[in-house]
Amino acid sequence: MPDSWDKDVYPEPPRRTPAPSPQTSLPNPITYLTKAFDFLVDRPVTLVRDFIERQHAKNRCYYYHRQFRRVPDITECEEKDVLCMFEAEMQWRRDYKVDQEIVNIIQERMQACQQREGESYKQNCANELEQFARVSKAYQDRYHDLGAHCSARKCLAKQKQRMLAEREAAKEAAAA
Amino acid sequence: MAAMSLLQRASITALAALPGRRLGTRLGFGGFLTRGFPKTAAPVRHSGDHGKRLFIIKPSGFYDKRFLTLLKFYILLTGVPVAIGITLINVFIGEAELAEIPEGYIPEHWEYFKHPISRWIARTFFDCPEKNYERTMSVLQIEAEKADLRLKELEVRRLMRMRGDGPWYQYPTIDKALVDSSPKATPDN
Repeated sequence: MPDSWDKDVYPEPPRRTPAPSPQTSLPNPITYLTKAFDFLVDRPVTLVRDFIERQHAKNRCYYYHRQFRRVPDITECEEKDVLCMFEAEMQWRRDYKVDQEIVNIIQERMQACQQREGESYKQNCANELEQFARVSKAYQDRYHDLGAHCSARKCLAKQKQRMLAEREAAKEAAAA
Repeated sequence: MAAMSLLQRASITALAALPGRRLGTRLGFGGFLTRGFPKTAAPVRHSGDHGKRLFIIKPSGFYDKRFLTLLKFYILLTGVPVAIGITLINVFIGEAELAEIPEGYIPEHWEYFKHPISRWIARTFFDCPEKNYERTMSVLQIEAEKADLRLKELEVRRLMRMRGDGPWYQYPTIDKALVDSSPKATPDN
């Protein structure tokens, strides 16, 4: 089975297995065990898998990922234009799902780094931790507390409240 | 001989002490004691087999056993053909591979699924999501137009009633020429 993950994003630590230096002249039982496994398990499984691959090669078909065009946003829609609002809403929902998956991927990277480093993850994984903190803060600012009936309009209203709060804070900071 | 119960042996020794012939014929009707009249009774020793046969008294397992048997049967009745079918499909037809959409090619809506059974279901039974999208948009537009027209009708009705210069709210009245406006003799004429 081929490797399925990106080695740059999830790097493997360098192997520290020492070269074999046997202290005894007795034969290593691991060799016999690996040969037995190879003969009893690996080879039959490979034969069956090759048979299945040959059958698959006879009728091969492909599947694609959906490509969605970008449509005007909710901010670019007229007031009573239901079609524009519907398309903007659908686009917002797709973007919501994409953002959830983005946060999941960043979280997986952080978890993989923590698993790799073990006890010293706080220093060695600082980049991943900081990236996850930033991404989850941004996600929380945009999508948190919209509720179960979230929509593009409510998200826009939340953005408006955020901008108002920022303006207030800037005004207070300028006054102070 | 070794598997006889204590009761059986005691009864046999008691009967053997009595005069045998007469009582033997009388007990022959329903008695199981006439079945195997051993001449000697041997003591029970620790034998090499499963040991003394016991009549274990426990609640009936018949109904539970029957239920589990029937459950297994009816689950496997369709489960085994379905499992065999899915295995054959996975081995001989196989899943689709991911590919980039070629230039100028618009894939059908079932070509976005991986497993052959999902593709078949999408091809045979389901509408494509574009059709659903367009149908939703058409329903929304019709409903929006209806709402607009209803609001306009209310506004028009209000204005026509107020101004009286439109085709609505016109009530037939009697001819002006028939009205006699000359002064009358009594006030109640």
